[in-house]
Amino acid sequence: MAGRGTIQLRSGEDIILRVENLVQEFPVGRDRVVHAVSDVSFDLRKGETLGIVGESGCGKSTTARAIVQLPPPTSGRVVLDPSSENEIDLTRLSGHDLRNARPRLQMIFQDPISSLNPRRRVKDIVSEGLEIWSDGDIGTEGRERVEEVLHAVGIDPVVAASHRPHQFSGGQCQRISIARALTVNPEILICDEPVSALDVSVQAKILNLLEDMKARYELSLVFISHDLSVVRNVSDRVVVMYLGKICEVGGADRLYDAPAHPYTRALLASAPEPAQSVGVADAVLGDDLPSPTDPPSGCRFRTRCPLAIDRCATEEPLMQEIDEDHFVACHLPST
Amino acid sequence: MKLTAEPPMDESSGAVKARRLGPGFWLPMGWIFLIVGVALLAPVLPLKDPTDYFIRPGERPPYPPSADHWFGTDQDARDMFSRIISGARVSLAVGFMTVTMSFIVGGTLGMVAGLVRGWFDRLASFLFLVVLSFPGIVLVILIIALIDRSVLTISVVLAIGGIAPVGRLARAATLSFAEREFVIAARTLGARNSRILFRELLPNVVIPMGALVLLGVAAAILAEGGLAFLGLSIEKGETWGKLIRNGSGSRVLRDSPWVAFGPITVMFLTLASINYIGDYLRDFFNVRETGLGQ
Amino acid sequence: MTGRQAPLLSVRDLKVVFPTPIGMVHAVDGVSFDLEAGQSMGIVGESGSGKTVTAKTLMNLLPSYALVDGSVNFDGRDLRALAAERKTEKHLWGVEISMVFQDPMTSLNPVKKVGEQIAESVRYHLGQTRTAARRQAGDLLEQVGIPEPGRRLDEYPHQLSGGLRQRVVIAAALACEPRILIADEPTTSLDVTVQKHILDLLDDLRTARGMAMILVTHDLGVVKGRTDEVMVMYAGRTMEEASTEAVFSQQGHPYTEALIETIPKINSASHTRLVPIPGQPPVTTSPPTGCPFADRCRYATDLCVAQGPPLTALGNGHHVACHTPVRTPAAETALAANAARGHTATGLEIHQSGVPIGAVTGGLGEQT
Repeated sequence: MAGRGTIQLRSGEDIILRVENLVQEFPVGRDRVVHAVSDVSFDLRKGETLGIVGESGCGKSTTARAIVQLPPPTSGRVVLDPSSENEIDLTRLSGHDLRNARPRLQMIFQDPISSLNPRRRVKDIVSEGLEIWSDGDIGTEGRERVEEVLHAVGIDPVVAASHRPHQFSGGQCQRISIARALTVNPEILICDEPVSALDVSVQAKILNLLEDMKARYELSLVFISHDLSVVRNVSDRVVVMYLGKICEVGGADRLYDAPAHPYTRALLASAPEPAQSVGVADAVLGDDLPSPTDPPSGCRFRTRCPLAIDRCATEEPLMQEIDEDHFVACHLPST
Repeated sequence: MKLTAEPPMDESSGAVKARRLGPGFWLPMGWIFLIVGVALLAPVLPLKDPTDYFIRPGERPPYPPSADHWFGTDQDARDMFSRIISGARVSLAVGFMTVTMSFIVGGTLGMVAGLVRGWFDRLASFLFLVVLSFPGIVLVILIIALIDRSVLTISVVLAIGGIAPVGRLARAATLSFAEREFVIAARTLGARNSRILFRELLPNVVIPMGALVLLGVAAAILAEGGLAFLGLSIEKGETWGKLIRNGSGSRVLRDSPWVAFGPITVMFLTLASINYIGDYLRDFFNVRETGLGQ
Repeated sequence: MTGRQAPLLSVRDLKVVFPTPIGMVHAVDGVSFDLEAGQSMGIVGESGSGKTVTAKTLMNLLPSYALVDGSVNFDGRDLRALAAERKTEKHLWGVEISMVFQDPMTSLNPVKKVGEQIAESVRYHLGQTRTAARRQAGDLLEQVGIPEPGRRLDEYPHQLSGGLRQRVVIAAALACEPRILIADEPTTSLDVTVQKHILDLLDDLRTARGMAMILVTHDLGVVKGRTDEVMVMYAGRTMEEASTEAVFSQQGHPYTEALIETIPKINSASHTRLVPIPGQPPVTTSPPTGCPFADRCRYATDLCVAQGPPLTALGNGHHVACHTPVRTPAAETALAANAARGHTATGLEIHQSGVPIGAVTGGLGEQT
């Protein structure tokens, strides 16, 4: 689009997170603004894993941070339990109310080392969430919870009590991060490139662990990655982003088997092991990456798009449904 | 690529234990312990009274070092050894008081500025800049002339000069850690600013600041020496600066160098030890922080 | 070797040891390979496998405290002896053997125009005049596919996108017509759509210039269908060396097999359970006497623990360092025996189907 529109939003009682028209802009220098995320909407169903895939600069990590209000978005809504009576719009909360809502959404980050405070013992790190909400002593129940969660992610609680993060490997640090997030019983876990810094032989273990934890603790996941194979593996639904906009949304297998947006097709064709649904010709993309301070008019992808026509420069494509639960923002979608 | 495989925990914890502080650390540390210990215990040690005149009839002071006066005496026949120790009490007190004050004020300002950003950060940064740009010595002379020349006043005045560099370092260190994911994780768990400041940031910021504490003590002792040369040091009692100044007249220096030599040596060894320990600790903790093999 | 030309590059039993506070790190532990002129080879391994140290040894970029053993011959010249003598061969590294690094931003000087950076090496090594060097820099930029090369010559690195920067780095590496180009993770910091372009470019340049290339990467996908040969490294040793085709279709080493199996596949349906490799790599400060992969291998026998397998030929230039290569009767027997007793010779518990238990239960109770 890449383009705008909210037709991809679903209804139903089991939607637990809805992001509407999210915009995140950062001022840089005088009169210049980075349009990091521009009018992005998606939702998350209970028990679902939503994958967000895109290249650097597409706004996927900014979106993750905007969901947890760190920092809050420039505009748009981030709604928890949108179909219930007591829906909460995080962007309207502040202070005490926002703090109270925070444990419901937890995050896992890319860098396993920088995710953990190097000066604290691992058990203290994992206990932190409970400590914050208990005024000091987390009690017997709290300690049991910490042990239970540590055991669940595969870290020995005895070792965790006496060791600091740098004494663990990258994969183990990611396990510790997951444990820290789980202690406060979150509903939604936002994973921002959780396996990108890990060796391939460790990746599979962490991905499997996330699947296990999702089932065990009844989590819903937002999973952000640049790695197309990883995203397909973990996701039920996938959002493809480009330069702050959504290109395509759909069920994971449907989107990978019948990609409709030229950018999605190019991504799938450029992967080290290309997807079967696309051909070599789909990988042909211009190298001219536009600046996020001055995004192209109309469709933001048009400067690199092999199919671009005049209309793409003047009119931003609207999100349209091309198949059941498969949405694309393009004037010339492949079908 | 990393040269080592990511070490399993037992291996790596052994590695950390294996890194101990060497003799290069303990030698200067021993000197500091000695000088601080002697200064603290001076009232109960069997020392000569630093204000007594040990005039030997028929001989003109200053007297050179002897079994009786290890470091000799000054022009008034007072014992240099006990005067140096008495001076250590004041000089070290000035050093530690100055650093304590500048770190409490500068460190707090810098860390809060680095964490909350916004207008507070701009105001604090502006204040640091003003203090750094102001000719410090003029300020010091002005305040001392207006108030008094007590240990406390001198320490406060020197501490004001220390706020800016300390604050800027604290701010920079805080900024570098505040961007890390573990701080964001703490916020998503619901942590307040105060908790993030004390639990997440302080333990990390303390490390680079620690080395500066020692450098600050050394700088304060040195600054006091500088004031002494302008005749603006503590009014009552001895300091190393005053002792050195006392011995540094050209005739005294030529005819009886021990008057200046004693305090100069002790002051030099002390400052060198403090600075060396500071550097050593910084290197030591840098390795610890990054974690071996990661 | 009779009847065959001597290889362009020949590495024999290379060992690199780094003294560190935690002990002697055996980064490269006996690696041998040949590279023919014009041939391309991939070195694949995870962090700690020794792949980058091997590349740095070839480029004479190891720190001076590294202890090196073994021989490296380039076109009949002993590179290790030359490295020891230092100044006689200043026109070897960067000229005949050249390197492209992972991060284009750090390999370019941020305060120098890109044209100057390329021209500089041409002037220094080939003694060309300023104008000739500049003209050549422009030609090189055009060859690496940079649009408007004339204008780009006078730009600074920060004015270029990541992909263009890496193209500049490649242009600089090619400036003196190297006979071997070593590319160390050349696309790891780039986006996937750009990555493909850069790899294609390296391939085209290699073919056009008849240059040999070593592509060092952690990503098997990068070498697939691209290099002639692949060497798989693990814990400082060569596990397998074969034609790229063979590595993917009939890999002989259990490690290669496990590595290919563990990667999520873009064409597999979502929520396909991944097969992790149990355990973790051995500690490089005390390499095991036996096979370094034995602890994690479902085929492991007593022999694997007792004795490190030498690199042996399977035919067709396929070499494997394994007592029980995959798809051989030895492997079948070993796996059947291990499955029957429920664990391997190293105590790794395995399922009756021959899959390690840790791989099935995933995270629970098992350390990464």
